[in-house]
Amino acid sequence: MSKKLKNIDKPKVVIVPCSGIGKTYGTVSREAAYNLIEDLRPETAQLVPLSLLVLGDKNARQAVSGSPTITIDGCKLACATKMVQESGGNVAQDFAVLDVYRRYRQLKPQGIANLNEGGELLAHALAEEAAEVVDQLIAGGQNG
Amino acid sequence: MTEFLETTVDKFIFRVATDRFYNGEGVWAKEENGRVRIGLSDFVQQRSGDVAFAEIKPVGTLLALGDELAVIETIKVNIAFTSPVTGKVIEVNPAMNDAPEAINQDPFGEGWLAVIEPIDWTADQTRLLDPQAYFIRMKTEAEEEAKKL
Repeated sequence: MSKKLKNIDKPKVVIVPCSGIGKTYGTVSREAAYNLIEDLRPETAQLVPLSLLVLGDKNARQAVSGSPTITIDGCKLACATKMVQESGGNVAQDFAVLDVYRRYRQLKPQGIANLNEGGELLAHALAEEAAEVVDQLIAGGQNG
Repeated sequence: MTEFLETTVDKFIFRVATDRFYNGEGVWAKEENGRVRIGLSDFVQQRSGDVAFAEIKPVGTLLALGDELAVIETIKVNIAFTSPVTGKVIEVNPAMNDAPEAINQDPFGEGWLAVIEPIDWTADQTRLLDPQAYFIRMKTEAEEEAKKL
């Protein structure tokens, strides 16, 4: 079996971050998602942009409806979580940046296009927490 | 049951409880059996954003009217609020430690900040705004904020 086919067969957890542009917490959510899928769990996590779900993209809807999904919301409106649910997806875990910040008060995020050091570290802390959930979901899927 | 004055500015709805007084910052003060419960108005919580942390002066602190009572850190800003009464802090809302989002969820109820034992509540009231006066002030501020959007 080719490497390409092996990758297709591997189950992946879908990550849907906030799409809030121009908001610090939205940027933290996206940076965390990029950190997770590019560096921490590239083999077991994949990104689905919230904008594609809003547009009703068929592949994006199939991705969230066919795989366990982790959402990362930038504010209490929880657009990522709501949109995944409306798209027929199963939200296995929803993270809110504000809740994570409350656990890491020393990491105050600032900046929008470019986060300050606190924001980058907060995004990484969030990504680490999400990575643990990814591992649990993958392990649960393999056991079940 | 608490009644409210209500206005809509742009897409936002703001309410003002009619059973209490307010200072110019939007800190409310409600007399209850000789003590005064303190909190933030609906307009203040909506304008400030989601509260991440709330630090209230501890029980036993003596405050003069206008002294700093609380500092709120939200996703947008850090803001200090002053006491609308002179007296001693006798109770701090325990929710402010582990669930300060109560300020956003229920500013006139579960999101109260502290209870103060006033020295002269009657005198303090004369320096505060009644609900109708605060409502007009709040509406003006909200309309000015809306113009900036």
